[in-house]
Amino acid sequence: MRVNPNMVPDMLAAIQNSESNLQTALQQVSTGKSVNLPSDNPGAEADMVQNTIETANVDQYTQNVSSVLSTVQTADSTLSAVVTSLTKAVSLGTEGANGTNSAANQQAIATQVQGILSSVVSQANLSYNGSYVFGGTASTAVPYTADPSSASGYTYNGNNDVNSVQIGDQLSVQVNLPGSQVFSNSSANVLGSLSSLVTALQSGSTSAISTATSAVSSALSYVSQQRVVYGNAESQLNAQETYLQQETVNLSSQATSLVGVDMAKAATTLSQAETDNNAALAAAAKVVPNTLLNYLSTPN
Amino acid sequence: MPDVIVMGGLNTSLLIGMQALEATQGALDATSNNIANANTPGYTREVAQFSENAETVSGSGVSGGGVTLVGLQSVRDELLNLQIQQQTSQQSSADTQSSVLQQIQSYFSTSNGGDIASAFSGFSTSLSQLSANPSSSAAQQGVLSAGQNLANAFKSAANGLTSAQSTANGQVTQTVAQINTLTSQIGQLNSQLSQLTAAGQNGGTIQDQRDELVQQLSTLTGVSVTQNSDGETITTGNGTPLVMGGQSFTLQTTTGSDGMQHVLDSNGTDITASLQGGQLGGAIQVRDQVISGLSTQLNSLASQFVTAFNAAQAQGFDSNGNPGQNFFSVPANASDAASGLSVALTDPSQVAISSDGSAGSNGNITNLSAALTNALPSGQTAAAAYSSIVFQVGNSAANASAQSTAIGLNLQQLTNQQGSVSAVDTNEEATNLLRFQTAYEAAARIISTIQQLNTITLNMGTSGGY
Repeated sequence: MRVNPNMVPDMLAAIQNSESNLQTALQQVSTGKSVNLPSDNPGAEADMVQNTIETANVDQYTQNVSSVLSTVQTADSTLSAVVTSLTKAVSLGTEGANGTNSAANQQAIATQVQGILSSVVSQANLSYNGSYVFGGTASTAVPYTADPSSASGYTYNGNNDVNSVQIGDQLSVQVNLPGSQVFSNSSANVLGSLSSLVTALQSGSTSAISTATSAVSSALSYVSQQRVVYGNAESQLNAQETYLQQETVNLSSQATSLVGVDMAKAATTLSQAETDNNAALAAAAKVVPNTLLNYLSTPN
Repeated sequence: MPDVIVMGGLNTSLLIGMQALEATQGALDATSNNIANANTPGYTREVAQFSENAETVSGSGVSGGGVTLVGLQSVRDELLNLQIQQQTSQQSSADTQSSVLQQIQSYFSTSNGGDIASAFSGFSTSLSQLSANPSSSAAQQGVLSAGQNLANAFKSAANGLTSAQSTANGQVTQTVAQINTLTSQIGQLNSQLSQLTAAGQNGGTIQDQRDELVQQLSTLTGVSVTQNSDGETITTGNGTPLVMGGQSFTLQTTTGSDGMQHVLDSNGTDITASLQGGQLGGAIQVRDQVISGLSTQLNSLASQFVTAFNAAQAQGFDSNGNPGQNFFSVPANASDAASGLSVALTDPSQVAISSDGSAGSNGNITNLSAALTNALPSGQTAAAAYSSIVFQVGNSAANASAQSTAIGLNLQQLTNQQGSVSAVDTNEEATNLLRFQTAYEAAARIISTIQQLNTITLNMGTSGGY
């Protein structure tokens, strides 16, 4: 059978093929990615869309966790200080109610409790990162301002709403307690009970002082209960932080398995492609110029 | 057979020698022509056809009649040619699609950052950041900017599709013009060939030219070729005539109601949808099916996402306590949804983050984020709908180039077969050259020998003779 005498197209195809393999191998080694265009692996590239979005989200959730965590910790430590103040007020109230104090002492105690009230008010007006922590969602208005017409002596300017921050795809955490719930609740009013204690101490009525002291005491236990919200949030945030770190690792390893290259394999492929390319070129150089005419002596 | 003058043995030998010289000369011409055209595209090697002349009977003697060069025959395999034409059409269709799709791929690649996936993730991130700092105007600005990026990403993807589509559209017009030029040339060659054949001449050269043109035509569009008495009849795959014998039919293009170029046959019938194969078929397929399908999906994603997000905005209040206004706006025309997507809000404080009207609330961000994470009316989330578009882009491009590679291998095989039949082998021609050189030398020797013998014969009986 006659064979195709024209070897050039086959040679060229072989050279082009080896060059294209070389280029692919080089690109994979230099970019570290096996998928540089959707057509390299349509399925992997489609999965990368989800991966890109999730990776960015997880990064942001991680940032949210740390920023929320510091807010929550600040609020929690503030409430802890409030609890200490209230404990002090209760013991002062108990002292004031034992009936052995002179009027001057009674007044001194009243002044101390008044000081505790002021410091609790300033703690209730805690501002963190430019917003008021205990104002509900009305975080730009000072939560408590002095108001002589009010029974407790202070008006609440915030609202009763709470914010939740997303720290996972289906997970959000409550980040604030409105002051109306913590400090001026109708059943356990911190500011109101402190204010009544001051009034009772000033009046000197032992029974009024005991009533007011027990009101402060119940407000104290109520605030302690409320701290649980922040405690829960903190432990939730810490757990989520660990989970998000794990998730970041998972997503990045998924991305690597989708579009990354195994460097050892890619380097081997590259050197294989180089060898193939050299072989194709060398073969072409050897075979193409060879014809019968080379071996025929010129007729004379 | 030339008349042989029965005159004598020597003259007969002289005549035979001369015929041999002429025939060998013809064969040397053919060899020379083959070598000359060894690299001419479409050239088919020619072989000298020798024929033995009838023997001459003179009286009781019988002498051979010598040789005649009947002609030169081109060595070709029409069936192989047809297969090559078909495969060429398919390959060039795949190549055209592949090169157009290559253009749009980069717009949908997640590796370069300006794509819709990155924009969606940026937008989602900015919302999440705002949820942690609802009253921060920087975070609000972040959402607005990320929304702007998302709108730009949609625009750039839509423009990428449109520009690839118009590239394909331009190819349709150009290709039709090239087809018309080729069919008219083929028609002329058909006429010349039938005249030559009628005059009893070898039309090998014309046939080579015509085959080459038909080969070029098949890269432009899928054709069906039939041989008949007055040359070749060439039609498109669906039977629209392009060439019948010496007559060629021009195709026309006109702008259709969809703004695209449509192809009309010589009667003015729209044959766009039925054209397949070749650059023309490939361009039409990628323009009217692949890209058009992708555009529809991108537009529907854009408009469904915008509707969902604007609805979420309307559920909340902005930082000034006003009900949320539309965040994005899309043109009324559904086919411009992606390219015309823009951010309608002008001020960061207009992002409806609040659920209760107070500035510090982040209650509505859940609804805003839900527009990204919940299923749209299409049944898929925005990310899933987009990743399905990415898959289709990648898959169409990968298929087109895989198809081209596969046909390429097949075509290489066929071309090798064709080459083994029709291509000029310089080694073979060198051998022929030696063969015919020897034959020519031998024939010349016969003539000079006869001449000597004639001289001897004429000098017979004269003085000084033998």
